[in-house]
Amino acid sequence: MSEVVKVEKTEFENIYECVYNDGTTRLCTKNLAPGHNVYGEKLIKISGIEYREWNSFRSKLAGAIQKGLKKNPIVRNSKVLYLGAASGTTPSHVSDIVEMQGKVYAVEFSPRVVRELILVAQHRPNLFPILADARFPQYYRALVEDVDVLYVDIAQPDETDIAIRNAEFFLKDNAYLMMAIKARSIDVTKDPKEIYKAEVKKLEEKGFDILEVIQLDPYDKDHAMVLAELK
Amino acid sequence: MKIYLVEHAIGAFAYDEQGKLVDYVLNSKDLGKVVEALIDNEKGMPLPSAKELLSKLKPDEVVVENEAEIPELQKNGVKASLEIHNIGSKAFRQSLPKIALETKFTSSEEELYSFLYEVSFEYTRRKLRGAASKRDLLAIQAIRAIDDIDKTINLFSERLREWYSIHFPELDNLIEDHEMYANIVSKFGHRDEITEEGLKELGLSKEKSQRLLTAAKKSIGADVTDVDIKSVRMLSDTILELYRIRRELTDYIESVMREVAPNVTTLVGPTLGARLLSLAGSLEDLAKMPASTIQVLGAEKALFRALRKKGRPPKHGVIFQYPEIHTSPRWQRGKIARALAAKLAIAARVDEFSGRFIGDRLNEELKKRIEEIKTKYAQPPPKKVQEEQPKPKHKGKKEEKRKRKNK
Ligand SMILES: C[S@@+](CC[C@H](N)C(=O)[O-])C[C@H]1O[C@@H](n2cnc3c(N)ncnc32)[C@H](O)[C@@H]1O
Repeated sequence: MSEVVKVEKTEFENIYECVYNDGTTRLCTKNLAPGHNVYGEKLIKISGIEYREWNSFRSKLAGAIQKGLKKNPIVRNSKVLYLGAASGTTPSHVSDIVEMQGKVYAVEFSPRVVRELILVAQHRPNLFPILADARFPQYYRALVEDVDVLYVDIAQPDETDIAIRNAEFFLKDNAYLMMAIKARSIDVTKDPKEIYKAEVKKLEEKGFDILEVIQLDPYDKDHAMVLAELK
Repeated sequence: MKIYLVEHAIGAFAYDEQGKLVDYVLNSKDLGKVVEALIDNEKGMPLPSAKELLSKLKPDEVVVENEAEIPELQKNGVKASLEIHNIGSKAFRQSLPKIALETKFTSSEEELYSFLYEVSFEYTRRKLRGAASKRDLLAIQAIRAIDDIDKTINLFSERLREWYSIHFPELDNLIEDHEMYANIVSKFGHRDEITEEGLKELGLSKEKSQRLLTAAKKSIGADVTDVDIKSVRMLSDTILELYRIRRELTDYIESVMREVAPNVTTLVGPTLGARLLSLAGSLEDLAKMPASTIQVLGAEKALFRALRKKGRPPKHGVIFQYPEIHTSPRWQRGKIARALAAKLAIAARVDEFSGRFIGDRLNEELKKRIEEIKTKYAQPPPKKVQEEQPKPKHKGKKEEKRKRKNK
C-alpha cells in the first residue's frame, strides 16, 4: 500500500497536500478532532500533527480545488453558513479549515442524515448542526450570525433562489457565495452548460459578481461550482 | 417610535432607525426554555423576551424578520411589518460576539459559542425527537454491546499479559491500564525496541517511561523472534481495536440518548442512562416505573434475597454509579439515591410522553436536594446495636479505565 511521505502546503490557507511514496498527491486538512475520522478517510500523522485525507470524489469543494479553483474564500476564522450539510463530509473539512475561531453553521433538513451530522459535530465545537429547511431562513436566524461565506450544496430545482434568499438574510457586504449546481436536478432535459448560464444570470441580477464557474467532472458529473461575491 | 426587533437565542434586541441599540431583554440560559421559545417562534410566537421588551418600550411600529409572527403582534395591538436583514438585524448579527459581551449575556466569546453550540444541538435533537421511534432500543443494544466488549477486553488482556510476559515479565506490574499495555506491545513489539520518544507519544509520564526503559534493559524475559512477536501483536491490535469500537459506541450512545431520553441523560449521563433503559427494557417501561423501583433497578438479586430472608432491602441498584452516590459517606447514599430516583422517574416520563427538555431544571433541583442531604446528615447516625447489613450488590464497574483484577 502506498504511504504518505510528506505533507505540503498548498496556495490555500489551511489546505494541504499529502504526497505518497508513489509520487501521487491528495488534498488533506489538519484534523480539528484528532483521532476521529468522518467518512472512512485516512488519518495521517506527521511530526505530531494529524491530517485527514480529503477525497475529491466525495466532496465538491475538494473537487473544485483540484479542478483549479483560483480563490477559496473559506479561510482561517471564516464564518460560514453551510446549506445542505448532509452527514458532514465537506462541513468537517470546512470546520478544519476555519479552525476554532471560525464557525460553521450547518443546515440540513433530512432527519436521517442529521443524525450522522450530529455525531460529526459532537467532536467539533465550531460546527453547529441545525435541522431546518433552507427555504425558511427566518427559522434559523436566531441560531446564526452574519457570515463571510455562504456555501450552498442542496441539489434543489430552485436552489439558486434559496441561495439568494439566504444571502439576503445573512451575507455580509463583500462576502462570498459558493454554490454547487447540479444540472440534472434543475432540468434533466437541458444541456448542463445552458443551465449554469441561466443560474449565473440569476445571481448577477441579484447583485453578485461571478468570479468563477468550475465544472466538477470527473469528480462529479454534470456539476459545477460557482464562486460569487456580493457587491 | 418605530423599532427593529431582533430575536436571537441570546435574547431580544430593539434597534432604532439609525441602527442604534435602544434596549434589550436577554433570554434565560435554560436550554429547554430557549429551544422551546425558538420552536414556538417558528409557528409565529414572538420570543418571551421580545414580548417583555415590547411591553417595556411600547413602540408604535415594529419591524420583524419572521412573517409568521406579524398576526400575533397585531392581535396585541402593535403595528408590525416585515423587512429582512434590516438596519437592526444587520447591526446585531454582524457583531453578535461583541453584543453578547456588552450586554453581559456571557463573559467571554467562548462561553457565547458554547451556549450556541448547546442550543443548536438541543434544537436539532428536539426536532429529531418527533420522528424517534424505537430508537431507545438501539441505545439499549449498544450499551449491551459495550458490556460484552468490556468482558472481552478483560479476557484478552489477561491472555496478552501472560503471553507477552514470557518476553518482558516486568511490564505486567509496571502498567496497570490494559489499553496502555496493549499500546506498548503493538507499538514496539520487542522490548529492546521501546524508546523514550515512543512512550511519550503514548502519553506516559517521564518518570514511568524511565522505569519502564530500565526494566526493559534488565529484563529476565526470554528472547523471542519476529514471528513470535507478530502473533502476540495480533492480540494486542485486537484489544486496541476493541477500545476504539468502545469509544465509537459510547459516542453513538450519547447521541441517541440525548435524542430519545434527553432528561434522563442530563441527570445521569448517557452511559448510566442507557443502562437504566436496558434494565427497564425500554424507555416506555422506565417511564411507567415508580421511583422506588428505579432506585433499585439492577439490584434485583439483593432485593429478592432481602425479601426472602426478611433482611434490609438494597438502597440502590445501578444508580450507585452516579458519582454523588458512591463518593458520599455510606449513611447519605440511600437518601441521595431516593432523591435521584424521584427525579429520574419524572425525567423518564417527560422523555417518553412529551419530549420537552427540562433536564437543566431537574438537575438544579437535584443538586440542591443533595446539598441539603449533605448538610443535614453531615454526621454519621449514632451506632445502633450491631446489626449486619446485607451489602447491596451493584454492578459498579469502572468506566473507561479498566483496573486489573487482583491477582
Ligand atoms: C449533495 S448533498 C450535500 C453534500 C454535502 N454538501 C457534502 O459535500 O458533504 C445535498 C443535501 O442537501 C439537503 N437538502 C436539500 N434540500 C434542502 C433544503 N431545502 N434545506 C436543507 N437541506 C436540504 C439534502 O437532504 C442533502 O443531504
